[in-house]
Amino acid sequence: MSNKPVNHAKAAEHFLEDAPHLQFHDERLWDMRQKRDAQMHILPEWQELREEASRIKEHTLSRLPEYLEQFETNAKKNGIHVHWARDGAEHNRIVGEILKAHNARNLIKSKSMVTEECDMRPYLAKQGVTVTETDLGERIQQLDDQLPSHIVVPAVHKLTADVAKIFAKDYHTDPNIRDPHLLAEAQRQAARPVILHADAGMTGGNFVVAETGTFVVCTNEGNADLSATVPNLHIATIGIERLVPRMADMGVFIRLLSRSALGSPITQYTTHFRGPQKGGEMHVVLVDNGRSARLGMEDFWTSLKCIRCGACMNTCPVYRRSGGLSYGAVYSGPIGAIIDPTFNERKYSTLPYASTLNGSCTNVCPVKINIHEQLYKWRRVLVQHHEMPFVKREIMHMAGKLMGQPKMYRAAIKATEVSLSTMPRFVLYNWLNPWGKHRENPHPVKQTFNDWYRKNRETAKPAAAPETKK
Amino acid sequence: MTAARDEILQALRNNRPTPENHPLPPVATLGDLDASRERFITSLKILGGDVLEPVEGETLDQAILRRHPDAKVICSNVPEAKGTLPVEKVKTPQDAATIDVTVVRSPFGIAEMGSIFLSEAELPINSFAHLGQHIVVLLSVDQLTANMHTAYQERPEFKTANYGVLMSGPSATADIQGVLIRGAQGVRSLSVWFT
Ligand code: SF4
Repeated sequence: MSNKPVNHAKAAEHFLEDAPHLQFHDERLWDMRQKRDAQMHILPEWQELREEASRIKEHTLSRLPEYLEQFETNAKKNGIHVHWARDGAEHNRIVGEILKAHNARNLIKSKSMVTEECDMRPYLAKQGVTVTETDLGERIQQLDDQLPSHIVVPAVHKLTADVAKIFAKDYHTDPNIRDPHLLAEAQRQAARPVILHADAGMTGGNFVVAETGTFVVCTNEGNADLSATVPNLHIATIGIERLVPRMADMGVFIRLLSRSALGSPITQYTTHFRGPQKGGEMHVVLVDNGRSARLGMEDFWTSLKCIRCGACMNTCPVYRRSGGLSYGAVYSGPIGAIIDPTFNERKYSTLPYASTLNGSCTNVCPVKINIHEQLYKWRRVLVQHHEMPFVKREIMHMAGKLMGQPKMYRAAIKATEVSLSTMPRFVLYNWLNPWGKHRENPHPVKQTFNDWYRKNRETAKPAAAPETKK
Repeated sequence: MTAARDEILQALRNNRPTPENHPLPPVATLGDLDASRERFITSLKILGGDVLEPVEGETLDQAILRRHPDAKVICSNVPEAKGTLPVEKVKTPQDAATIDVTVVRSPFGIAEMGSIFLSEAELPINSFAHLGQHIVVLLSVDQLTANMHTAYQERPEFKTANYGVLMSGPSATADIQGVLIRGAQGVRSLSVWFT
């Protein structure tokens, strides 16, 4: 895989060129954000829930080894086989061996971001295993040979016509279908026989309960249940940060997850797996893949609290206007921009800049991750590690000098205002200014704040201090 | 003990934040504690489920046919309904695929979400709840719990069942251009019959 820094701005530019897709993407995600807000307003205890979720998660992360061991003991007692994988390669090898031991060649799979992280599908393909995604959005992405562009709605950047075209190729449906119902039905009909003949099923895990050895999977389509209950072999791939201590903690997280994600009170299916079904076999693969290292990063460890609701993406003005694929990584959006550089600092060095730092992501996050502050911190880290694009580095360098010298700064502001109003457009809108590419620069102001302050306040007497009792 | 397991646990021990700074908060019971039938029904309908209201003098079998007039194969796992396919015929997970309507009893429902719970105790086979086209769920009003907090604290099933699913209406998706579609992969409809 290439190690070259992802050119997020360029990829986003490509996405921006297509007006209908851009508009739909922006509106659809904003709609999800507004539905989330509506749910928040219904529950007076919303902020308390967030606080509770955040504290439970921070506690669990600080005692992760103990809780993982507790989970392992309980899960084994219930007949679950527990495996540990340090990285993606190890994960894939383990899954491949389990499948081989059962001579399983057809795997049906419910959505799991960890398997995307591990790049599992190509690995299994080489072993002669056919992997079929059962989540509709994920299946669309699989057929189109793309990564999911959103962690909750993987094909959100596509319009009905795009899906019709993809299905026509693989399901031989009419490429001109414009009714999503017909397309969803086509998927249902195509998936059924595959599900009925599968040798093994795979799911992820949204939450893992240490107390009982349970893992919980939340879907709307029920495809995880189909994947887990039809074949007799069930493998679950789960990130080691997904633990919660007690079953009673699940109330907090289930109440927050789908409301934050889509604005629905709960996912249609919330399934608790505590052991294999009658005559079945169950495996859990606990995956580290950089998580234990992230736990040691003082500024970034709380990103492990993430429950993958996607709310930060839905609210992010940059994500909504650039599309998830432009991040060039498994995880996109604000949380992706924090996690991805921990996988590869050079390759994902541009992502922490894909944010306006407006703080909206932090405000919606159900587990209270200080997302925009972490993005800001990443920028500082990356500057220290020299992983900054040349132009940005130079501009920041100049900006740093300017900010450090008030007089020069004021002069520059004035000069900017003058140039904004007098310079020809080609000087302002060129490759040195990616921001100016897709938007107008701000209107120049007639008077700077400093000028206004000097005129109106500096000469005025300071307001009398309020009397205080001694 | 594997090398991977020990290495991961060791790395977590080395890297974690100080545990003493992050105590476990007590279990929370927040929000509306109304466990009424009305609240349950309102929530159920938001999520696309429905109530099968009895008509005077009608049996459950008749009510099911009224709701699903085209159903040929009805398989019941409750004594209250006969159905057309004896449940003993459903032996493998795949056997459930031919059923039009499955009939089961849920041990409890959650008023906040309109969710019903099903586990291997109520199902002849776990796929029974998913492979049929429609599901009719029997539920007793006095088995309603208020919200997710009370459910997880009060219901022993969460700690005893090997397979426990909360179903809140039928299978659904909005993955194609944001259009909400019921009956994506699992059941196309879910109806609750109160007993
Ligand atoms: S960072 Fe927060 S808002 Fe974003 S996906 Fe994770 S939990 Fe949701």
